[in-house]
Amino acid sequence: MDSTAALDDVLAAAPAAIDAAATLEELDRVESGLLGKSSPVGDVRRSMGGLDPAERPIIGARLNEVTERIQGMLEKRRAALEMEREALLLEDDRIDVSLESHSFPLGALHPIQQTIDEIVDIFVGLGYRVADGPEAELGWYNFDALNTPPTHPARLESDTLYLAHGKPEDEVLLRTQTSPVQVRWMEEHQPPVYVVAPGKVYRQETTDATHLPVFHQIEGLAVDQSIQFSDLIGTLAHFSREFFGPETRVRLRPDFFPFTEPSADLSVSCFACDGGQPGCRVCGGAGWLEILGCGMVDPNVLEAAGYDPAQVSGFAFGMGAERMTMVRHGINDIRHFIDNDLRFLSQFR
Amino acid sequence: MRVSLLWLQEFIDLPTTDPGELSGVLTMLGHEVESYEILQADWSDVYVGRVSDIAAHPDADKVRVCQVDTGSGPEQIICGAWNFSEGAYVAVAKPGAVLPGDLQIGQRTIRGVESNGMICSENELGLGDDHTGILVLDGEPELGIPFAELIELPDVVFDLSITSNRPDAMSLVGIARDLSAHYRVPYRVAPRPLSPVPGSPDIAVKIEDPIGCRRFTAREIRGITIRRSPLRVRHRLAKAGVRAISNVVDVTNYVMIELGHPLHAFDAATIAGDRLVVRRASVGETLVTLDDVERKLTPDDLIIYDAEGPTSMSGTMGGARSEVSERTVDVLMEAASWDPPTIMYMSRRHGLMSEASRRFERGVDPNLTDMANARAAAMVVELAGGAVLEGVIDEIATPIGPLTTDLTLGHVERILGPGFTKDEVTGILESLGMEVAGNDPLTVTVPTYRPDVTRPIDLIEEVARIHGYDRFPATLPVGRAGGLTAEQRRLRTLKSALVGIGLFEAVTLPFVTQEDLSGFGWADTDRLLHVANPLRDEEATMRPTLLPGLLGAARFNVARGTDSIGLFEASRTFTGAPSPMDARLPDQVERLGWVLTGDAGPSALGVAPTRADASVSFSVLRHVMAALGHRGLTLQPQGAPGFHPGRSAAVILDGHVIGHVGELAPAGTGHFQLPERVAIGELDLAPLLAPAPLAEAVSPSPFPHVDFDLSFLLPLDVPVGDLVQATVEAASGLVESARVFDVFHGPGVTEGNRAVAIAYRLRSAEHTLTNEAVKPVRLAMVAAGESLGARLRGA
Repeated sequence: MDSTAALDDVLAAAPAAIDAAATLEELDRVESGLLGKSSPVGDVRRSMGGLDPAERPIIGARLNEVTERIQGMLEKRRAALEMEREALLLEDDRIDVSLESHSFPLGALHPIQQTIDEIVDIFVGLGYRVADGPEAELGWYNFDALNTPPTHPARLESDTLYLAHGKPEDEVLLRTQTSPVQVRWMEEHQPPVYVVAPGKVYRQETTDATHLPVFHQIEGLAVDQSIQFSDLIGTLAHFSREFFGPETRVRLRPDFFPFTEPSADLSVSCFACDGGQPGCRVCGGAGWLEILGCGMVDPNVLEAAGYDPAQVSGFAFGMGAERMTMVRHGINDIRHFIDNDLRFLSQFR
Repeated sequence: MRVSLLWLQEFIDLPTTDPGELSGVLTMLGHEVESYEILQADWSDVYVGRVSDIAAHPDADKVRVCQVDTGSGPEQIICGAWNFSEGAYVAVAKPGAVLPGDLQIGQRTIRGVESNGMICSENELGLGDDHTGILVLDGEPELGIPFAELIELPDVVFDLSITSNRPDAMSLVGIARDLSAHYRVPYRVAPRPLSPVPGSPDIAVKIEDPIGCRRFTAREIRGITIRRSPLRVRHRLAKAGVRAISNVVDVTNYVMIELGHPLHAFDAATIAGDRLVVRRASVGETLVTLDDVERKLTPDDLIIYDAEGPTSMSGTMGGARSEVSERTVDVLMEAASWDPPTIMYMSRRHGLMSEASRRFERGVDPNLTDMANARAAAMVVELAGGAVLEGVIDEIATPIGPLTTDLTLGHVERILGPGFTKDEVTGILESLGMEVAGNDPLTVTVPTYRPDVTRPIDLIEEVARIHGYDRFPATLPVGRAGGLTAEQRRLRTLKSALVGIGLFEAVTLPFVTQEDLSGFGWADTDRLLHVANPLRDEEATMRPTLLPGLLGAARFNVARGTDSIGLFEASRTFTGAPSPMDARLPDQVERLGWVLTGDAGPSALGVAPTRADASVSFSVLRHVMAALGHRGLTLQPQGAPGFHPGRSAAVILDGHVIGHVGELAPAGTGHFQLPERVAIGELDLAPLLAPAPLAEAVSPSPFPHVDFDLSFLLPLDVPVGDLVQATVEAASGLVESARVFDVFHGPGVTEGNRAVAIAYRLRSAEHTLTNEAVKPVRLAMVAAGESLGARLRGA
């Protein structure tokens, strides 16, 4: 048999032999059977020296071509087998992703604090600062300076917790609202004033599903040269959209507070049903949620703080952080907030 | 305040009677409609009839055979009641009628006699529990009209929440007045003409306290008969939520609902000595009020006296001694103007919140006494007969006239924005009954029924309210520079750091119980801050430390099966010491506290979790300090109240003790029923949040490092931290990091010592460290250890 025919036979047999190799090791054996020293191709390579010089280039070229084609086939097969082996190795490395074998601990801010932070941030975005004041407060700041004269029912002991401290005329008490922070801020700052004051407030209250003796309010105050009623509406409408969602609408109805005049109660359209659903779990079908009290700062309050009500005007608002949180998260018992049950708190991560 | 729409319509012709629309209008006027109820007759086919003839039943002696005319001739009805006679007007359920309880009325034959329907009792109509017989109607109502019309059904009752500044709106006329301003239709008070007879009361009234009692008006009605009020009056009162009692008492309530002025009726015969004196009470006096409770009077109580002593509590509740009873023949009807705070304090002092006191403490129009009194007197005559004496008692101790205030249009615009014309402002104020004169400023005279309006800003509020809050645009004030302070930002950083290591923020009540305070180990009870009027003992003392509250929360969790707990709180603690901020106030320092027990930190399957203990608490401390950038931290091993004395330390920052960190003393774990060691810490917040010095950046050295370990034998009484510090300092700035990787004492370690192994990494910022260069450094580090009493192990 001549060399060319031998090479043709090898080339014809190669694909089946190479495909039949199931492992890289088998492929190595196939390779040496096809191209090795003792293979037909090796025989041809060795015989080259004895060939007719006229025939040699032709056979040589054919030898090279066959060798290259076989090597090409081998490489392709090798690559495929390597991928298979790689895949097997990866498969061996497989883990059960559902098994939580490690965990990094993560706590959470209290849901009330999360609400406060979010509300504060909305007002900080409007250029407000954040104020703080004492919880054990003087009667002057909690009442008198807020246009709540000694004969006002809210000053009676039935609502206010008084402290056994100091002189009786100082009426040291646990603040019943965050509004005294307004007065203290105004005493220390000149207008313009744009400030929010979150904090604890105290009432003589029996604890039940909707009442706690201590809860959190967020107070807001803006005093500037030309603050108008519409600024109050616009500011609270902006806040409501940021907090409850961009489609939220607001409604003000007249109300009464000693420290604002005119005073209003702000409701927002229900974020859960938008007013369309009877028996809605959030608004009960009313379509509106009362969320805060507000109004134009009473001139007596501005005066008590040392401002001239003929020069500046302002608005103030106050809301309950517990109520805002309960409404948003569907919490039906305010006592959850002070139980600090980790099964409750961990829902707010 | 419950308002019947039909009764209200006597005072105003409303352009709509749609309850939803009216609710919206009332709410937007500031009288929030909490709900409204549509009242309907609970029956069908019951008509007004007249009994024209009564005959005995031929075969039954307990019933009678009546002929009843309901407008279309007599119908025969058999009736078992005997409380009426021929000519009585009655409510007749015709055959086909359905009464409450689904009682079907049909044509029946009773012992051979046909009965076409039923004559109804109040009970059968579901109107009351009167079992004395059938309902006999008052007057001569039109025959054949539906009976429901007589008690004004159907009707709508609105439940209004009246704000405390609007006593005038606690009346139908007040509500009508606001609706009149809104709809710009007139309101009216239908007159009740009075036809007095000659004569004057024998009773003299003397006001000895002109502050407490501004005016006292009274009329005497003689020869009355006490009985039930007519059906319509009783049902109007029922709709208003007031129980009908007797005609005279009902009149006082009826007129109060209409006009907002409370009244009181005395049985004139019981007024001893024919004189009434209004003055403050004396110590030791008592008064039995209408509810049969004996009240101990105080010198602040404003009391009406007769010759025998206290006989009525002004504006709050009458006395039992002068109460109108079935035997009353002559009535003295009183309408007085009382000082609001006096009534407020007195009614609360005695726990007597009545419809009258609720109105008086808010302020009833001081000039309404005579009108209310005359109206009530006229109505008493209508309902109870008798005659009103011409002579009127009208003592005016402190006259109060209308108030006048000036309002500039500029002021209106400054608060409400542009666009309020003089015509609109004037129109609104006049629609509310105010008199407006002048151009700009407007001179406004405010009627005395509006005690809430005294200043220009109050007028502006009225303009806004009637204009409609929903008609204002929404604008934003020009922005200002704002933002959180550094301390506020650092507080958030601090909390995030604690959340990041698995702690949950707690909110505990700022009170503490004596049990938890002493159970925790707090001994200093002298400086505690106490609540003067706590509702419960648990709320009587302010917490001087956050830890009992947090430990209480841990106890709560453990009791519910959660045994791995990590809680922190940043809040105020209180003592009775004067506050540095304001000496009049008690000290109220913000602190950070934490409590950890059970598993803490990261966890991995098959690896025993870290359990919270003192060292975990110190890790929390270092974590917090690192997060806040505080470097100058030292620990002084020592206990503190509640802290384990051997496993706790005072935390010193920049030379000041800012709190304690470590482990709860065993007595505390026992008290709070916590099964394991408890890591606790409490630090003052202010120094933590105070800005830390800015880090000065150092470029990381590009030169290679040299690592080696040193293993020391360290006497037990020398802190490892001192060894680390001394060795690091001895390396003259070359130590990049030092990490204690083993501490061991026991077999193989000389008694009284610990084996401490420390891994050091050294690196120079200037050059590559050679072995030659490191050798003397290492020796110096060892020597530094030795100077503390340590010995190099294996050396």
